[in-house]
Amino acid sequence: MYWLSKRRYKIGLFIPSILLYTIFIIIPIGMAIGYSFTKYSGLGKPVFSGLANYRRLFKDTLFLRSLSNTMEMFIPAFLLLLIFSFLLALLLNKKIKGSDFAKSMIFSPAIIAPIICGIIWVYILDPNIGVINNVLEAIGASGLKQEWIGGDKLSPYSVAVIYFWQQLGYLTTIFIAGLKMIPGDIFEAAEIDGASEVQSIRYIVIPMMKSTISTVSILIITGVFKIFELVQQTTGGGPNHLSETLVTYSYSMTFASSDYGYGMSLATVTFIVSLVIVGIYSAIFKEKEV
Amino acid sequence: MCKKRVVASLMIAVMACGLLAGCGGSKGGSTKASDKETVIKFGIHVANPAEQESVTNNIVEAFNKSNAGKYRVEFVASDTESHSKNMKLAAQDNTLPEIFWIDASEAPEYADNGLLLDMSGYLSSSEAVDTALNGMEDAFNNGSIQYGLPYQCNVQGIFYNKEIFDNAKVDYPTDEITYDKFIQMVKELKAAGYIPLSIGSMNSSFAMWEFNEFLSRYGWEDSYKDIADGKGKYNNDDMVACFEKMQGLAEAGAFPESMTTLEYFDAKQLFDNGEAAMFGTGQWDCAEFDENIGDKIGFFWGPVFEDSSAPQEIAMKVPSAPLVCSAAVAEDDGKKEALYAFLDFYYGEEAAKLSYAGSIFPATSYSDVAASDSQYAMNAMIGTLSSGWTSPAAAPDQTLSAAVQEQLYDSVFGVIQGTYTPAEALDKMDAAAANEAVPQN
Repeated sequence: MYWLSKRRYKIGLFIPSILLYTIFIIIPIGMAIGYSFTKYSGLGKPVFSGLANYRRLFKDTLFLRSLSNTMEMFIPAFLLLLIFSFLLALLLNKKIKGSDFAKSMIFSPAIIAPIICGIIWVYILDPNIGVINNVLEAIGASGLKQEWIGGDKLSPYSVAVIYFWQQLGYLTTIFIAGLKMIPGDIFEAAEIDGASEVQSIRYIVIPMMKSTISTVSILIITGVFKIFELVQQTTGGGPNHLSETLVTYSYSMTFASSDYGYGMSLATVTFIVSLVIVGIYSAIFKEKEV
Repeated sequence: MCKKRVVASLMIAVMACGLLAGCGGSKGGSTKASDKETVIKFGIHVANPAEQESVTNNIVEAFNKSNAGKYRVEFVASDTESHSKNMKLAAQDNTLPEIFWIDASEAPEYADNGLLLDMSGYLSSSEAVDTALNGMEDAFNNGSIQYGLPYQCNVQGIFYNKEIFDNAKVDYPTDEITYDKFIQMVKELKAAGYIPLSIGSMNSSFAMWEFNEFLSRYGWEDSYKDIADGKGKYNNDDMVACFEKMQGLAEAGAFPESMTTLEYFDAKQLFDNGEAAMFGTGQWDCAEFDENIGDKIGFFWGPVFEDSSAPQEIAMKVPSAPLVCSAAVAEDDGKKEALYAFLDFYYGEEAAKLSYAGSIFPATSYSDVAASDSQYAMNAMIGTLSSGWTSPAAAPDQTLSAAVQEQLYDSVFGVIQGTYTPAEALDKMDAAAANEAVPQN
């Protein structure tokens, strides 16, 4: 490994990464932010319009609705995914019969394209043809039937559940990998000292997996803010944009309404909101570490 | 060590060359099949033209066959949304296809940016086509240039299934049916257990063709002219009354309960399956109705409104979204010759026959071209067209810019889904127009 630590090799490895990152990440973000200060339909030249798109944005009730929907999706998805993927990883990390099969089953939704997940869940959640409402009706519990998707209330939560189903296996796998990194002799020592399983988790697993928990949390935050296909497939953002998220509303404004400038201002705000949440999370996590 | 490095470097070089070759290999290969054959690209708004736009596909195939070795048309195909994005990207780097379909709401902006060929030169060089189009191209003239020609002729209205009406013991709708009687009909069909008028809003808010007739019969053309002149607003008495009628239909139970999770194709399926009594659409669905409903199909324009001062004897035979040509064609005589030859064919009698055979009304009129007896849906439309009612120059939704058009769709569905009141829906259209018109700085 000696040769990699030489300065010229470090620079040689660093420059291509920085170059690619700049070309494919930094410049497009910069361009999107630039377009957000313009009036642009995708044709001709953008016309500088200052803060007009941002002023419009904060008066736009549909933007506020899509922000609220995104948060309504984010909170349950974050809590459910973080808690259940961690608990599931603890369970599957034990040498129990059938755990390998269970792992593959739990992971399987993660390999299905999100658009297909959306189609599958339409057949489950649709108020008329969906399995849930039909089962409720069949067992005589028609009163419990809901507009799981397509209404103006439950759609964000339904999307959060679908996202949970889709991501659980993937995040569990990351946690399992983290658990495997903890040396077994620490657990043995704790067992000899009489630590219970809960105490082992509280005082060994969680502190030693802080970086994994942090990675998973950031993956959930960034993932939720990128949910697009699930919303498009289950509700199309409707009725009347009431189930839009920040991303789908930005897409709708940019491409359906050909309002690229306004769409990019929505994308910029989405980017900032997710950065703020990641920042808050990192700050809290860092404080606890100290 | 040194030898390994040399081998590794060579491998990297070979792989990089392979990668670059792979990236560049396809370019240009398909633009010219032989030295003599001129290839023109045709950008179309469906991913699979043979399946989804079979008439256009048949016309292109017939043209290619009769011009083998001389001219060839190749599709650049993608779904409508991707097509729209692709054309904008192509416009930015001057790689627009020689000819392409574009939504009427977007075409004027292409023209304003100098991206489109002025087709008046072509029309004056081809009198037969000019005559056959019979003024249908006027919708795509912005006063400076003829920026497009109609792709097809759209006839839009409401199809109905006679068998369902018979079962429900309800009289068939006629072109003279008033709104109040139409509401009564809706209630009777609903009571008989049918979905009176199938429609879906999910990812398909554009599917509101039957309401174009409503808008026209409440004086859309005059309202729109006033708005364009800065003298009026969408939220005016006529349009409020029009949107109230849509709201009334919803309140009478006209639409499927699951409208918000139904797409256009699902809504059509309800009609095909015999679950819905009526379905608003255009001639592009005729072949499907022939297959599923056969001679039980009927067609009418929709209800007339007694409280409207606008003319009610309005049909909806309008030019569909235009075919436009890249301005770059003007600089290449070979491409221009091939393009004109294709346009001659596309708007010629042979193509019109192919069009009728596929149950699509062509943009042109030729006296000897007609539908066969087994084209029930198309014949139902032809029967209704024979009343000779006048049509607007363009369907109302096709007169708007992309942003306002999108808001119109949202507003119509907002009212029929109970999200907006008619006044709120129209205010949103005014807001969309204001956002677009006013310089934002």
